[in-house]
Amino acid sequence: MRSQANPRLMLMILSAVFAFLYIPISVLFALSFNEGGLPTAWTGFSVKWYGELVRNDEIIGAAFNTLMVAIVSTFLATILGTLLAVGVEIRRRKGRFLETIIFAPMIIPDIVLAIALLSFFSMLNVTMGLHTVIVSHVVFNLAFVCSVVRARLKTFDWSIVEASTDLGASTPITLWRVVLPVMLPAVIAGALLAFTLSVDEFIIAFFTAGAGRDSITLPMQIFAMIRFGITPEINALATIVMTVSVVALALSQRLNRGGLPGQ
Amino acid sequence: MTQPLLSLRNVEKSFGTVRAVDGIDLDIQENEFFALLGASGSGKTTLLRMLAGFEIPTAGEIMLDGKDISNVQPNHRPVNLMFQSYALFPHMTIAQNIAYGLEMEKLPRPEINQRVEEMLGVIQLSHLAKRKPDQLSGGQRQRVALGRALVKRPRLLLLDEPLGALDKKLRGEMQLELKRIQDEFRITFIVVTHDQEEALVMADRIAILQDGQLLQCGSPHEIYEHPQNRFAADFIGVMNFLPVSKSGGALVALDGSTIMAGQNENLPSGEAVAAVRPERLHLGAADGDNSLSGKVSATAYHGLDLQLHLETPLSPTPIMVRLTADAAEGRPLAIGDDVTVGWAAKDTRIFAA
Amino acid sequence: MNDRKPIYLMSPALAWLTAFMVIPCLLILALAFFRRGIYGGVEYTFTMENLALVFDPLYASIFLKSAWIAGLSGVIAVVVGYAAAFAIAAAPARRQPMLLFFAVLPFWSNYLVRTYAWIVLLNREGLIVSVVQALGYDGELPKLLYTESAVVVGLVYNYLPFVILACYAPLSRLNPEIAEASRDLGGSGWTTFRRVILPMTVPGIATGFVFVFVLSIGNFVTPALLGGGQFQMIGNLIYAQFLTANDWPFGAALSMFLIAIMMGLLTLQTFATERASGARREES
Repeated sequence: MRSQANPRLMLMILSAVFAFLYIPISVLFALSFNEGGLPTAWTGFSVKWYGELVRNDEIIGAAFNTLMVAIVSTFLATILGTLLAVGVEIRRRKGRFLETIIFAPMIIPDIVLAIALLSFFSMLNVTMGLHTVIVSHVVFNLAFVCSVVRARLKTFDWSIVEASTDLGASTPITLWRVVLPVMLPAVIAGALLAFTLSVDEFIIAFFTAGAGRDSITLPMQIFAMIRFGITPEINALATIVMTVSVVALALSQRLNRGGLPGQ
Repeated sequence: MTQPLLSLRNVEKSFGTVRAVDGIDLDIQENEFFALLGASGSGKTTLLRMLAGFEIPTAGEIMLDGKDISNVQPNHRPVNLMFQSYALFPHMTIAQNIAYGLEMEKLPRPEINQRVEEMLGVIQLSHLAKRKPDQLSGGQRQRVALGRALVKRPRLLLLDEPLGALDKKLRGEMQLELKRIQDEFRITFIVVTHDQEEALVMADRIAILQDGQLLQCGSPHEIYEHPQNRFAADFIGVMNFLPVSKSGGALVALDGSTIMAGQNENLPSGEAVAAVRPERLHLGAADGDNSLSGKVSATAYHGLDLQLHLETPLSPTPIMVRLTADAAEGRPLAIGDDVTVGWAAKDTRIFAA
Repeated sequence: MNDRKPIYLMSPALAWLTAFMVIPCLLILALAFFRRGIYGGVEYTFTMENLALVFDPLYASIFLKSAWIAGLSGVIAVVVGYAAAFAIAAAPARRQPMLLFFAVLPFWSNYLVRTYAWIVLLNREGLIVSVVQALGYDGELPKLLYTESAVVVGLVYNYLPFVILACYAPLSRLNPEIAEASRDLGGSGWTTFRRVILPMTVPGIATGFVFVFVLSIGNFVTPALLGGGQFQMIGNLIYAQFLTANDWPFGAALSMFLIAIMMGLLTLQTFATERASGARREES
């Protein structure tokens, strides 16, 4: 591989791609600290837009809703997804149908799942709100948790389970002392990934949150702000949201060395 | 004297501060089956990669047919390599794999097809021409890798641990097969291996490498019977070493007895090592110039022969004795028995300590 | 482990997926064959009209335009992403994980935020205009935001990290001896790339392209934000059927088409992957 490559060309490609990837978000980041709030002129460093955010009740409310959705759906998805992963990996026989069902939530276009759930809930006359967003988020979150945990289980040496039994441990003790410690980093990594996805998810939340103002999530708030009147405080909000996701992902990566989520 | 096919002149290769190959001089003649033998880290693979063109020597010259090829790109050398991992193209069929190198030479299609077919016959895989590499067994893949390199009729064919991935039985068959093919094609083979038995069986000449340096180069018989230094003696086969000190032409062992050797004139006085192969030791002191006694500490029956470990005051580690089934017949040799063995002076080798 | 346990472990999640994914999706499938009610809503009589309407020139042209934009974004993202993945795979082994991490990092920041960043850059009062003017150009600049190009740039930007990841996987798994074997047999650097490396890494390219295409063709955020209010892609069309036009059956029919296109492409991708790995054993 390396003998194939011209180092100078490779460096040029990497510089160009990284510039393309990082200039836009860096600009946002810088802009959030610009006193004047406009991209055209730097008028001085200031955190006043962050102050504006804190005073904006709508945004605080939306942030609270988002956390609520993310925490509850991550909690449910982590339990369901981990059990699913263990179940699938214990089962030696691999069913194509089963694989499709588990894989589907990750590849169905968001808009399709969104309208399907909207139709489903309204057909059942369910009042929509945060609870329907949570239920919907669990669908894709559990699939992602499952795939992260399964990746870890694929390299899991099942003979250590037999070894534990051979050494006299009961099944629950084996699960507790042997299987769980090996799996735990992957479970936490999966949970962090699910949390990130949930915090950032817009389309499904947008369709399943119902019409009430009190079930607006942060991405919905951001969408509305971009669409109907950009104010400088959105830069600050964007920077915060970006930082939260990136920190959660970095943590997830640290815990789950050996494979990137989504790979 | 004819010009050698390949001449290495003081070839060196350093990676940073590590000298992987440290000044090697070597001549290889046309049609030779040559083996580079060494442990991992001895520099044998680096040397092979320099011959193939994947590494450029830090110093020295590599002459092929009298021309320096050190800086020629690998795709412009009449040298082909059979990779250790075989490196077959997984997306191409067996026939396509073999045709690839000929296509690079821009040969006309009919000639390519004809030569590929011939080669498939030589490696006995004509019936699998349309298979992909992952549908073949290890031995079949090995033959494809050989055929793909051989079909280009290179001046020099390099083989990197060619039999390393095969099981023991198959390895024995392939050793003979490689020799047959080399004989048939009259192409110079250079095999890199860490397996001394493989080198002894296949090669016309063997070079032993250690720490990037050439320890000894010679025919299998020379290498086995007349190792030039202690490392070469230890590396090939099994050798018993007895610490001795040389004073006034005599070799004195640890217990004060004298050891007779065929020749030891070149050795300076002082500490030295006497060495003798296990199969040169015979039961009883009668028919030898030398003898030693010891207590049996272990026995191992191998069918063809019986191996004994003797604890003796002459050596800090047990001495290995290899008796033929005939010699061991009818003698109870149990652990704890006292045994005396003897050997001829001509079978003693002497090395610097 | 006995045989019954997997079922107990899997059933809660499978029940959840059945209730909130399989059934809703089947519902959409069914909905596509019902008539639209006079005042919105759904009338439960069978019809093929919704599916026929998808091929109406008006909507077919939106489909084609969406496919064009999604295809263009896919091609650009694959070319750039493959080059980047190749460069990462060519870097010293100990630096590769870090490079890959930073290539993928933006992917995990908020999609809306990343799209919004391009509004800031492409705006009439945006950064690019300001920079160009500061450099002394005071002529008329072409409109940057609310164009087809802006949508393509936005889509490429958002999905590029995934393509890098998808292309890096097969490139990093490539046995370096295979490329060397090609050189050894007389292939030049370019021949080696074209005949050996490229075919062996087709699965990554296919995965990357299909991913970008599928997510782009059904996207409605990027066209809505970077394409301006009048810009229509299938995603926006579906969105409109459900939230403004209130024609759910037609929206459902459009979704079915989206899924059909996606499944077709995924099949092709599976095919490409199997071909490259030479795994089709029935061929012999």
